Amino acid sequence: MKMYEQLPHTADIKIRVYGANKKELFKHALIGMFQVIGPHADGCKRVDGQLVCDALPIQHVVAIQSPDSEALLVDFLSEALWYSDVYNQAFLDAAINTLTETSIEAIIKGVQVSGFDVVEIKAVTYHDLAIKEVDGMWQTDIVFDI
Amino acid sequence: MDKLIRMEDLLALSEWCYEIPQSFRSDMRVPARFFMSRKMFEDISEDRSLEQLVNVATLPGIQKAAFAMPDMHQGYGFPIGGVAGMAIDHGGVISPGGIGYDINCGVRLLVANATYDELKPFMEDIATRLFDAVPSGVGRGGRLKLGLDELDHVLQYGAKRMLELGFGTQEDLDRCENDGSFAVAQPDLVSKHAKQRGADQLGTLGSGNHFLEVQMVDEIYDEKVAETFGLHKGLIAVMIHCGSRGLGHQTCTDYVRVMNAAMHKWDYQLPDRELVCAPFLSQEAQDYYGAMAAAANFAWANRHMIAVWAREAFAQAAGAHVQLNMVYDVSHNIGKVETHEINGKQTRMIMHRKGATRSFGPGREEVSAVYRDVGQPVLIPGTMGTSSYVLVGTQESMDVAFGSCCHGAGRRLSRTKAKKLVRGAELRKELEAHNIIVRCDSDKGLAEEAPLAYKDVDSVVNVVQQAGLARKVARLRPMAVIKGG
Repeated sequence: MKMYEQLPHTADIKIRVYGANKKELFKHALIGMFQVIGPHADGCKRVDGQLVCDALPIQHVVAIQSPDSEALLVDFLSEALWYSDVYNQAFLDAAINTLTETSIEAIIKGVQVSGFDVVEIKAVTYHDLAIKEVDGMWQTDIVFDI
Repeated sequence: MDKLIRMEDLLALSEWCYEIPQSFRSDMRVPARFFMSRKMFEDISEDRSLEQLVNVATLPGIQKAAFAMPDMHQGYGFPIGGVAGMAIDHGGVISPGGIGYDINCGVRLLVANATYDELKPFMEDIATRLFDAVPSGVGRGGRLKLGLDELDHVLQYGAKRMLELGFGTQEDLDRCENDGSFAVAQPDLVSKHAKQRGADQLGTLGSGNHFLEVQMVDEIYDEKVAETFGLHKGLIAVMIHCGSRGLGHQTCTDYVRVMNAAMHKWDYQLPDRELVCAPFLSQEAQDYYGAMAAAANFAWANRHMIAVWAREAFAQAAGAHVQLNMVYDVSHNIGKVETHEINGKQTRMIMHRKGATRSFGPGREEVSAVYRDVGQPVLIPGTMGTSSYVLVGTQESMDVAFGSCCHGAGRRLSRTKAKKLVRGAELRKELEAHNIIVRCDSDKGLAEEAPLAYKDVDSVVNVVQQAGLARKVARLRPMAVIKGG
């Protein structure tokens, strides 16, 4: 099963994320957000366009409450983006301890980066964002402002 | 909600202006109007910009029409090139997503007191020094590291604070929209998160379509106005395109969140959650407006510092006698309170311009005093391989679309598509064959921003002029491109 795929968008970046359950959907959204902009990190290698690292030594605890699932996903990804922008980090995995409709507690795991292939993500938007179950799989589209 | 827009749904108001009538969708409060030549329709045929424009037409308090400029393309919430004015005293809303995450992204133009012929021997060195002097690309912090107290001063006073600190000239402020300082700024309403994102980013370009370009004035269309703007054929110019960096991005993110949480207070039925908004007179909206203004001040200070370093680079390469004088600085992701005539009445509006600039005509008090008699300069960057333009706002532009104009050529291809069609290394060679010096350490970055990824800027500017959005003054040709990668 693929974690995410990039969809066409004239000006920004749009991905479709998949997960067997909502926890996995949130984790794959995090991974997709960073993999799609091609992070550069010492000691990691690119395999099929994806950054693969033996270890993800940087960890942050993220605990968020939001009005609903979509807002929670935007807020979760925005928090990871904040860490990335302030500390030059990219997050390629997460341990999601609890996830409800309105709250998440997770540890995001990543590496220090020297930059990204081309663009920086400015923000996570609500445009086209709708978390839904399709044929037993969870999915959503996410548009990132770049 | 996702009703398909067909050609037969469009009314041609003129050869350059088309309308989707209010009757198209039941939730529209006004028509959706866009400026384009029929030939340019193809550029937007595969994106969803018209659907997004129709969505804008549903926002509470919107007046006259939801407008899109000739560089229109798909964004999120609003289309890029979108302009909407909401009547403040009639429930008009402000929408952070309708202003954009890169608050006060904009363009600044400087003109040298020297011609291309005079500076030609120094151009390679100038380009290298500019690339070294102005941090660009992802993850490169700025040369100024501000403590949070000093950052608050920048957020309060914008470019004015940088002048107080000894950077730049009074003329830099006098020839900038809002004099480079938004008086309604409230730094205490900008989150610590946002301030931490911006703390080391003052004086940085960022990535994507942001750039620094050395250009040459190669055509004058209006001698009198060009003289007022200080533009003469053959002179070297410097164009700077960037915004409020992470500080602005986080500020918008924060207030989209605030308004999402407060949406239950107002019974708005929005077709796209990215259009989340609040009545301008509500506390949530006023808080956002104060924070947005502070982020706008950061953007003006950012472009101000880049201009200061560009001057240093020119002086080091070509001598201290070479000066770069401010022409103007326009904002193209911003919300502003303005008064416009609606049905014969002067009406207080909160104007949203997202990927669109102001193009105010003569006499408006908002136009810098030095330009008030002729109208404000309107800056339209092209691409790294094509011309950019300087235009002037007119009285007609006030009547057509609230004194608004496009902000660039407008993308027509996604970055992925551009990379499939263009190899960065070949583009670099092609540009250099046309005597355009390139300083960008990413071939992928170059390919994504290749000229063919954009609409034809000459056609876009032609529509601008024909539709009465602004009038051509001068054309600029790229001589050196400095980009982040």
